[in-house]
Amino acid sequence: MFEFLRFELRQQLSSPVLWLMGLLFAALAFGAASTDAIVLGGSVGNVHRNAPMIAAQFLGVFTLLGMLFTAMSINGALLRDFEQGTSELIFASPIKRRDYVAGRIMAAVIGCLMIYALIGLGVFIAQFMPWIDAERLGPVSLYPYAWTFAVIVLPNLLFTAALLSLLAIVTRSILWVYVGVLGFFILYGVSAVLLRDLDNVWIATLAEPLGLRAFGRSIRYWAAEQRNTELPAIAGYLLANRALWTGIALALFAACFALFKTERSGTGRAWRRAKAVPAAAVSPSRASAAAAAGSLSNVLPVFGAATSVAQFLRQLRFDTLGVLRGIPFIVMLLFGIANFIPSAIFAETVYDTSVHPVTSQMLQALQNAYSLILIIIVLFYAGELIGKERSAKINEVTDAMPVPNWVPLTAKFGALIAVIVCFQLLGGIAAILIQLGKGHTQFELAVYAKTLLLNGIFFVLMGGMALCLQVFTNNRYVGYALLVLVLIGQIVLGTLDFTHNLYNYASAPNAPYSDMNGHGHFLKGQLWFQAYWGLCLLLLLLLSAALWVRGVGGSVRERLRLARQRLRGPLGPATALAALAFVGVGGYLFWNTNIRNEYLSPDDTLDLQAEYERDYKQYRNLPQPKIIASQVDVDLHPETRTMRARGTYRVRNPHTTPITDLHVGMNDDQALKRIDMGGAQLVKHDETLGYRIYRLKTPMLPGAERDIAFEIEMAPNGITNGTAQTQIVGNGSFFNNTVFPMFGYNEGAEIQDRNERRKRDLGEPRRMPKLEDRAARASTYIGDDADWIDFKTTICTAPDQIALSPGYLQEEFVRDGRRCFRYAMDRPMLNFYAYLSARWQVKKGKYKDIPIEIYYDGKHAYNVDRMIEAVQKSLAYYEANFTPYQHRQVRIIEFPGYSSFAQSFANTIPYSESAGFIADLKDKDAIDYVFYITAHEIAHQWWAHQVIGANTQGATVLSESLSQYSALMVMEKEYGRSKMRRFLKYELDNYLSGRGGEIVEELPLYRVENQPYVHYRKASLVFYRLRDEIGEDALNRALKKFLQDKGYQQPPYATSVELLEYIRAEAGSQHERLISDLFEKISFYDNRVETATAKKRTDGKYAVTLDLRAAKLYADGKGKETAGNMDDWVEVGVFARAPSGKESEEKVLYLKRHRITVGQPKLTVVVDAEPYEAGFDPYNKLIDRVSSDNRKRVSL
Amino acid sequence: MLVIRDLSKTYANGVRALDQVTLDIPRGMFGLLGPNGAGKSSLMRTLATLQEADSGSATLDDGKGGSIDVLRDKDAVRRQLGYLPQDFGVYPKVSALDLLEHFAILKGLTDRRQRREVVDGLLQQVNLWDVRKRRLGGFSGGMRQRFGIAQALLGNPRLVIVDEPTAGLDPEERNRFLNLLAEIGENVAVILSTHIVEDVTDLCPTMAIMNKGKVLLTGRPADAIGALENQVWRKQIVKADLKRYEQEFTLLSTRLVAGHPVIHVFSAARPEDGFEQVAPDLEDVYFQRLRQHAKAA
Repeated sequence: MFEFLRFELRQQLSSPVLWLMGLLFAALAFGAASTDAIVLGGSVGNVHRNAPMIAAQFLGVFTLLGMLFTAMSINGALLRDFEQGTSELIFASPIKRRDYVAGRIMAAVIGCLMIYALIGLGVFIAQFMPWIDAERLGPVSLYPYAWTFAVIVLPNLLFTAALLSLLAIVTRSILWVYVGVLGFFILYGVSAVLLRDLDNVWIATLAEPLGLRAFGRSIRYWAAEQRNTELPAIAGYLLANRALWTGIALALFAACFALFKTERSGTGRAWRRAKAVPAAAVSPSRASAAAAAGSLSNVLPVFGAATSVAQFLRQLRFDTLGVLRGIPFIVMLLFGIANFIPSAIFAETVYDTSVHPVTSQMLQALQNAYSLILIIIVLFYAGELIGKERSAKINEVTDAMPVPNWVPLTAKFGALIAVIVCFQLLGGIAAILIQLGKGHTQFELAVYAKTLLLNGIFFVLMGGMALCLQVFTNNRYVGYALLVLVLIGQIVLGTLDFTHNLYNYASAPNAPYSDMNGHGHFLKGQLWFQAYWGLCLLLLLLLSAALWVRGVGGSVRERLRLARQRLRGPLGPATALAALAFVGVGGYLFWNTNIRNEYLSPDDTLDLQAEYERDYKQYRNLPQPKIIASQVDVDLHPETRTMRARGTYRVRNPHTTPITDLHVGMNDDQALKRIDMGGAQLVKHDETLGYRIYRLKTPMLPGAERDIAFEIEMAPNGITNGTAQTQIVGNGSFFNNTVFPMFGYNEGAEIQDRNERRKRDLGEPRRMPKLEDRAARASTYIGDDADWIDFKTTICTAPDQIALSPGYLQEEFVRDGRRCFRYAMDRPMLNFYAYLSARWQVKKGKYKDIPIEIYYDGKHAYNVDRMIEAVQKSLAYYEANFTPYQHRQVRIIEFPGYSSFAQSFANTIPYSESAGFIADLKDKDAIDYVFYITAHEIAHQWWAHQVIGANTQGATVLSESLSQYSALMVMEKEYGRSKMRRFLKYELDNYLSGRGGEIVEELPLYRVENQPYVHYRKASLVFYRLRDEIGEDALNRALKKFLQDKGYQQPPYATSVELLEYIRAEAGSQHERLISDLFEKISFYDNRVETATAKKRTDGKYAVTLDLRAAKLYADGKGKETAGNMDDWVEVGVFARAPSGKESEEKVLYLKRHRITVGQPKLTVVVDAEPYEAGFDPYNKLIDRVSSDNRKRVSL
Repeated sequence: MLVIRDLSKTYANGVRALDQVTLDIPRGMFGLLGPNGAGKSSLMRTLATLQEADSGSATLDDGKGGSIDVLRDKDAVRRQLGYLPQDFGVYPKVSALDLLEHFAILKGLTDRRQRREVVDGLLQQVNLWDVRKRRLGGFSGGMRQRFGIAQALLGNPRLVIVDEPTAGLDPEERNRFLNLLAEIGENVAVILSTHIVEDVTDLCPTMAIMNKGKVLLTGRPADAIGALENQVWRKQIVKADLKRYEQEFTLLSTRLVAGHPVIHVFSAARPEDGFEQVAPDLEDVYFQRLRQHAKAA
């Protein structure tokens, strides 16, 4: 056996391809570990670059990618003898089968381990690179590497090697082993979908053979501090997963030994061979054959253009069918479908509630989960098609046939296109079947056809290029290697900040599809760039025709000589023409992207941001006027995607000093055509950064007011390198007042990323002003250009569209053939307004005398009634518990899914088509997030539009957190407590994983600095518990008073500290500790039921004894934890088994809050019926990182 | 029919595959004999437009009074050519009928009805009619070679080149195959390369012997055999003496008969006692030329 091992190991280690791949992977690992340019399995984030978990994560990801070289090694070890025909030599000698297999596989595994060692080295040495910020490094240690090799790498290698060995042994086909790798990749992706379902954590972590999800799950809730220093204990998910898959690996190895056969037969294809035993020779009379031959000589071939075309068509058909009937194609097709179905069904689920299978969703799922398999198909088949004749050893026959040189290449390219079309067609059919299965019958066949063909273009470009590389190199493997280089090049170019589509092969600005707006104007840019790359491909194809090898390929010199000779024919001018067209279109595009428009790479953009900060931050505190009224006349042309606006701001100097200079900022400086502030001189105009300084002829004295008139014009300027703007579109324009002039320095434009700042010497990122910063309370957190404004506007749009803006419709009229709407708001509102225009259906409802209007796309009528109901119930709760609704109308307006949020403007709520309009609420158990989002947005009419936070920490508590609380209450009234528990489980999960991804510092809720996982997710849990402990009435009383006192206030604006004062006043001092824990600290519980035993008493009742564990922890912003003193009221519950077994239907036998002050409380409670489960905080109302151990089965 | 003059080819690794090859190939079967590596395949590939020559010329008469420059006007040659390369393969999953049909179109038989006739006729002629719908992957070596000749005959070629077609065939298949060749050799030029001497003896009115890229002999087999009349001797010897005979005489061939070597020696007179004169055959001619060439080199 050791002889086999030694021999095979020498073979493995002398394989240059293996080492090449090893070095490539090591370089990739080094790059990922030392820079942000390469990202593997999630970005490093704010964790140390050399944190233990980073080493584990990187090497773990490589055990997936590494299947490529594992496959190579296994193929070499187990199939080489069969491929090279040496098997009979070896197996004729007296060897033991077992020794052979064991030796060979062991050698392959050791060979792979060497490669992993190389990769590990790549990760390890990355930390010593001089460009890495010392602040981002922890202590150097080899322990994580040892841990990772033992827990992740070795078990994974064993498993993958065993799996591939078995495949190799059973199929004896190199191809099938690679197909196996591919299938594995895809199944791997499918199980990712499963993980999204919270209830399936065990299944998803166990079902994932590489343990990466189990690992990820184990550290999911870890804070930065823990991530920097620790590795998970080998227990729970991780242990179960590792044990399971190591066991499976051993079983697979056993199967390998059992199934390995040295004979040629036993490959599983014997039946085919048996069928193919040569038939006995038939010998009809010679005379008849000769006669037949004689009669044939009259039939002479004809050669002409028609013949060439016939030959082309025949070859095309032959090659296309060859691919379509091939096992690899069918296997990949099936994988594609298998991958597509779950993502089509689970697409865009929010809180596990699915969406209606509308065409845009199906198309998106097709593109994300199905079509990408085409890349493997086209790249693989490029080599197969070009090498088809050669690998069948029939090339000398076909090459000697009277076929023009252009026919084979063109036919093969055509076959590739045909394969892409077939594949896409089948995908479309699968999508329609899914729609049908879900009862959706609005089939949009034309949209499918168009989009699938459009999506296919990229694959044609890639496949064509692969084809050409095969021709150029005239060697399948060198061709594939070059292809890999090109693919890596594409990725590396992007990460090195070379992002222009003009030099990144096959790249184009992608045209997003929306049900509302179709492909819109985005298609033009995509198609132009694809035409450009199409011409490049044409050029490559023509050169391939020149370099096409017919017969025995000669030396490079000979091929070039032949190519020159061929180029003297019609091929030459055609090539020149293609080159000219390529350069011409390239020039046209360059003119468009870089001269008519500005091309900025990501780094360029950051550099500009840095420049902006450096040049203008000095004006941060410069007194500027505030807008007190805004009146805008907007002329929108969705047809040409242009917009002209003429507006007037009424401004006032609220400061105690005169204002002499007015600083005007524009997102797009060119759009500002005119600005008139009643006599001013332009003293500085920075066109690149959109910053102007005007010196007023007469300074604005304190308290003085004046008008500032401006004129804006936005118009597209040809093709851009990136996807075109999404604000003004054919159907579904949506833009807000940030396109109008703003005053002063805009802090929001600063770079937030720490590392990007450090690279540019910008110092620490800007944080929100501290709660204690009194000066910051002079403005709201949404901007310092205004306090409350009067608002009037007119908007004209296309005759078939409706245009909307906050305020009430005063008049609808026609001006120059445009449909115009005049809106006015009857009371002050925030300087925060939007314009929308589209062809909508309108559905009207009413709450008391308040009209409710839903503007929706005709295809998306599903949840319109639900929205109206949600608005009614929200208004009812908020008016009853808080203050009256300040507006006389509520409007919800659908906009295209280029973004997927809903946003609340005064009486106007734009709502993305992908965020609720298509939610599928048929399942009554599902969480109705349409109701939730609507309730949340309506709550903003109070929380933001009545009370708005000052520009300090905790500001979003007053808007987002309180809207969350308000929505929770409306939802609870509608759906009951048990559903809220499910909802809060998601919130808990999102909060805990969100804090793991924190890159600056987690803050207690009252100091939150616009951190969504805190002000939405944690806030839900905090307020729900607060409500539980102090009572809904008390809390709502506090909120009502707060609204009454702080509503529509002038500066200084309200803060979270003030909110807490109101809450404390209502809650009373007994809840002081609780409020402090919830709002002012980051606190966690670690509560669990250790044992629960019950005894039946003589009176038929049961005494349940509970042995509990209770602990409270406080964390700092980096996740460092300290123990706290437990003194809390925690629910203890005992439950009977529900007949259905479902937790939601269980019967509560006992549920009471107990004051817990010790770490190991023991309790005995008496219940009337047989207990099934007992729980300590059974409904997970406390923030506990392991929520699953709060309940335990009661043992009798 | 086909005139080859001074054809030379040197591979990148320095091997001279063709060295001033000059041949006149008439209508009918033309045998090309030579050991492995003699340059037979290089010559045939060059004639089949699959390989470039360094120098020299080859001219094929086009049957209409003109001539075709084989090295330049490849398309014209291909229209006249039927080629069965050495060691050729098939697409295993395609049926004989389908593949032949496919090739027929590539060969320029675009008329569906006529093509059908030709394909059916050829399948009958090569005796594959009954198995025409079977996948080629299941064909035996002989069946595959017969399929090969069928495709070579598509489109009425005037020049048929078959490269070592009988290697690996059992005697019966070989006979069947050679009969086929003999039939078609009546109207067109068939170049048959082989290292099996009997193939040539049985079939070819004219022939050439090649070694190391050079033509050693060309002409009619009978003439070549006649030239060796009375100069071939045979003796049964003991194994130990083989070396001595090799050194002392021009040893043509050694064959074991009942375990003892029987040698053929080329000599104008009886080499020594125990030798008996035998009537020469083409094999003797073949070996005599090879030995002569080896000595000269």
